Amino acid sequence: MNEMWDAVVVGGGLAGWIAGIRAAQRDKKVLLVTEGVGTLFYFSGIFDYGDVVRLRHLPKHPYTLFKAQEITQGQRFVQEICPEYVMKDTPQFAFTVLGTVRQGDLMPRSMVLPDQQEQGEFVILVPEGLKDFFPKIVAANMAREFPGWQVNEKRMKVGTLSEWTQLGKSVTSIDYASIWRSEEGQRALTLEIDQLKREYREAGRSSNKLVVVLPSLVREYFDSSRSKPYKNEFSLPILEMSSFVPSPHGRYFAEYLKHMFTDLGGELMMGARAAAINGKARSGSQTKVCQELVVNSMGKPLHLKSKKFILATGGFLGGGIKVGMARKSIREEVFDLPLFVPEKWSEPQFFAPQPFAQIGVETDALMRPLDPVCGQVIWDNVHVVGRMLAHWDPWTQRCGGGVSVTSGYAAAELI
Amino acid sequence: MDSRDELAARLDACQKCNVCTAQCPVAKVNPHFIGPKGLGPDRERFRMGQIIQGETALDDCSNCKTCEMTCPSGVKITRMILEARRAASKASHQNTLSLKLRLRGYVLGRAEYLGKLGVICPTMMNHVLKIKFMRLVLDKALAINESASLPLYGKSLEVQVDKGSRIGTSACKQVVYFPGCFTRYNEADTGRIMIKVLEHIGYKTIVPNFHCCGLPLEANGQFEKAHKNGLYNLELMRPYLEAGTPIITSCTSCGLMLKEDYPRLQTTSALLVGAQSYDLFEFLWQLYERGELPLDFQEVKASYGYHPPCHLKAQGIGIPALRILRLIPGVKIRNLDAGCCGLAGSYGFKAEKYDKAMKIGRTLFEAITVGAGRGDYQGMTTECGACKVQIQHGTGLSTEHPVRILAKAYRLMMDER
Repeated sequence: MNEMWDAVVVGGGLAGWIAGIRAAQRDKKVLLVTEGVGTLFYFSGIFDYGDVVRLRHLPKHPYTLFKAQEITQGQRFVQEICPEYVMKDTPQFAFTVLGTVRQGDLMPRSMVLPDQQEQGEFVILVPEGLKDFFPKIVAANMAREFPGWQVNEKRMKVGTLSEWTQLGKSVTSIDYASIWRSEEGQRALTLEIDQLKREYREAGRSSNKLVVVLPSLVREYFDSSRSKPYKNEFSLPILEMSSFVPSPHGRYFAEYLKHMFTDLGGELMMGARAAAINGKARSGSQTKVCQELVVNSMGKPLHLKSKKFILATGGFLGGGIKVGMARKSIREEVFDLPLFVPEKWSEPQFFAPQPFAQIGVETDALMRPLDPVCGQVIWDNVHVVGRMLAHWDPWTQRCGGGVSVTSGYAAAELI
Repeated sequence: MDSRDELAARLDACQKCNVCTAQCPVAKVNPHFIGPKGLGPDRERFRMGQIIQGETALDDCSNCKTCEMTCPSGVKITRMILEARRAASKASHQNTLSLKLRLRGYVLGRAEYLGKLGVICPTMMNHVLKIKFMRLVLDKALAINESASLPLYGKSLEVQVDKGSRIGTSACKQVVYFPGCFTRYNEADTGRIMIKVLEHIGYKTIVPNFHCCGLPLEANGQFEKAHKNGLYNLELMRPYLEAGTPIITSCTSCGLMLKEDYPRLQTTSALLVGAQSYDLFEFLWQLYERGELPLDFQEVKASYGYHPPCHLKAQGIGIPALRILRLIPGVKIRNLDAGCCGLAGSYGFKAEKYDKAMKIGRTLFEAITVGAGRGDYQGMTTECGACKVQIQHGTGLSTEHPVRILAKAYRLMMDER
């Protein structure tokens, strides 16, 4: 019987997609199975790597599984896939949707904030009816973060959305993002910005320190094989902001990655949940080899045979780890792998580092799951990536993107 | 169904993440539509399996199942909305639809009878449906948009019953074909080609006299008739299901009905139909895995753009057609995967929905046109008849069923180009 795939990636989050794309790039036959559309819809557009040097000194942190150059390789891979992404040796910052400032390690050029010292002027373009956007709060935050800078607002309308605004309906950031990526939206933006520049000139004010800020704008992830040419330059510099969920950066990034993966020959099975696995022990060893993954497709289970499997099911948020009532049971849902679970789950202070964040699967240097009792590799051909790995905290260590990209890329190299 | 599936099917599993609404093709273009989360799990808290007085937005859902497929918690949103429509149709005293729209639902839902009517004299019917005046009349009388491109009729597909021998004892391998109304009445040639392909592979095809699978009926509020059809079809399938014969569909929407809705009907055959229903290429791939698929292909030098129908994606089997077609030397296929075409069966034919349907399909039309402009392909291919009609309407690019490409490779069909 032919083995169907070189690798089956279980889970369509950041780590899963990176693994799938890299493996497909290496001409492997890859299938990515995911229950839903994946967690990238929550993606802000910014990859956080955290203080890599310090984290690599923490015992058992996922970064310790990789050589320093593997971490850089992952970063370069992101820049190769998305040429608009930039990373510097010095810290970079971006605006959140509230106008506060957050650090980011690898992010789109259009999000990188100007140097504070430059003493310029922000003009927030406020799209009419944009949901969950509060211009007064945003302006106040921006003014506080950039002392000495002027902050002004300018309301703007787009014709296509008049049906919405006449109904009094707010427009989601996703809908506005789609407008800005359309011909009509680009024309409207160009006109608006040109007009702004003109107004300043007519008022006798200099416009060369002006920076336009537009929430819901996403200029990255452009697919020239599926979209008409996209205008990317305006007569004034324009900054993007992050967004509330569902995030337009995440939405377009997810589609971009999906198309990149399938264009490279990868196959996607969405709406199919992993149900069980079949494997057997290798002779003379406790280590098992997984032979097939059973997924629930509509009407019948599907048996997917593969040489290797990548577990990228995303921990609690992704649905890879399920907790029963009153925490009486906790289970990794696909392979039933043993989990590292701390004695105490939570700290009373809300924003303190929470021990439950560290829950996950412990692995060897090749990301293969380990039996904590005897220290043996449980599955020889299974690699655990992303949030499913144990001993890290994406929130307080600020390294979610970094661990996901690095582990996903490294696993793909092992296929 | 394990307890998690039950929970997921219910509204409690909804995390309110709104990813479904962000993906919904209808919400994208229709400001009056509150989206799948709103219409589904949110409103269901008030309906609780019954109805909300005066609820009108239920018909705006196109039943594409994008929400269900993309939901990270597995909530059966489309099913929830359909059940709400069923409850609303039963509460007839609440029915706020005008006579015209009720009549339209009756007519459009009966794709099968329209088909039977259309094939009596297909040339004349096709001619009549192209006359502007007739289309204006249809628009005024039945609210069927005069600009919509309606499918053409042709000679219908022949029914082929298993003659003589008891089912299951026949020496050669056999399959049962569920052609669906589009293949049967609008594009029987595709069905005939499929039968030839199966014959080449070593399978005899039986084509019982099925009724419509029921999807167009449900989509147009004709739930009782859909239910009756389901039971009738399952009864026809019974002896074959019990003998282990696979049921093959070439239309991905029929496939969806057989795999998702039929298993929930109250009859013993329902327990078998889900596991034994296959999309044609899903079946062929199984044969390939077992080393039983003949690979005697001739080279077919052609490039195609492929459009995955929403109802194929919803089946959660990946895209077996691509896997099979990529085995043929010379064939190049680009999977565009650029969203819903917008027609959604008969949804886009409706007067008030036509413009929205064309807007929904815009991203796909653009992707198709950009790819064709780059010279990536000269034609499109897709399994769904409705998508084919919509793609041809929106881009002018010829679109064929992927089985035709396979037939060319097996030397069963001349290349038309």
